[in-house]
Amino acid sequence: MPRVNDPGTLRLALVGICAGLLSGLLGVGGGVIIVPLLVLWLGWNQRSAQATSLAAVFIIASYGVVAFGLHGEVRPGTAALIGLPALAGVVFGTRLAAKLHSDTLGILFGLFQVTVAIVMFAG
Amino acid sequence: MNVLWIIIAGGAAGVLSGLFGVGGGAIFVPALVLLFGFEQTTAEGTSLLAIIPVAGLGAWVQHKEGLVQVRSAATVGLVAGAGVIVGAVVANHLPETTLRRVFAVFLLIMAAQLLFRSHKKRVERLNAEAASDDARV
Repeated sequence: MPRVNDPGTLRLALVGICAGLLSGLLGVGGGVIIVPLLVLWLGWNQRSAQATSLAAVFIIASYGVVAFGLHGEVRPGTAALIGLPALAGVVFGTRLAAKLHSDTLGILFGLFQVTVAIVMFAG
Repeated sequence: MNVLWIIIAGGAAGVLSGLFGVGGGAIFVPALVLLFGFEQTTAEGTSLLAIIPVAGLGAWVQHKEGLVQVRSAATVGLVAGAGVIVGAVVANHLPETTLRRVFAVFLLIMAAQLLFRSHKKRVERLNAEAASDDARV
């Protein structure tokens, strides 16, 4: 498990800035950039990186809702409609991840990331 | 009918969220634009609200298994606040297509490194497992 020491904290702050930039620029949560940076820059294993990313995304999305909410661009009813089935999905997804080896999870994540990048490039 | 599809898209986004540690916005946003005809910004704002409980529940479930580094998550999340503001200001001054493409290339480079590293680890693990099977025979 990684210790929170000084160089580590600096790198974590850089990860946060990258995630925040991506979120502010393109309106996404930032998980797709937090996970690979934690693995590649900080040497974390895939599983811890993913779990910690979700907790960070929770905080980042909260900022985002305030920012978008001030401009009246949040629809709570629709968020509930799409978010409630996602709550069931996320529990299933974490169970699925727990059954996979960290290296297998890393390969699947890499393929997911390539898909997101292609959509982002073309989008 | 679109309501049914939005529920299916929500469920799929949740599975991806739990499986990969992301918020699910990559599915929420296009689903809201394509199925409900939302403006891009309204889709993003609504997606971010949906992400809060989903990421919160996913993080909580994995925190109980000791997988979440709480202080590190707080550092990344809190510092990201500054990045969000800078990003939003920059986004108003640069063409969106250029921004998306720069980030897409950055993501592809990281994905290549991640795939290479994970594949190497996987081969090492499988070899080690095969060796221990041989030792048992």
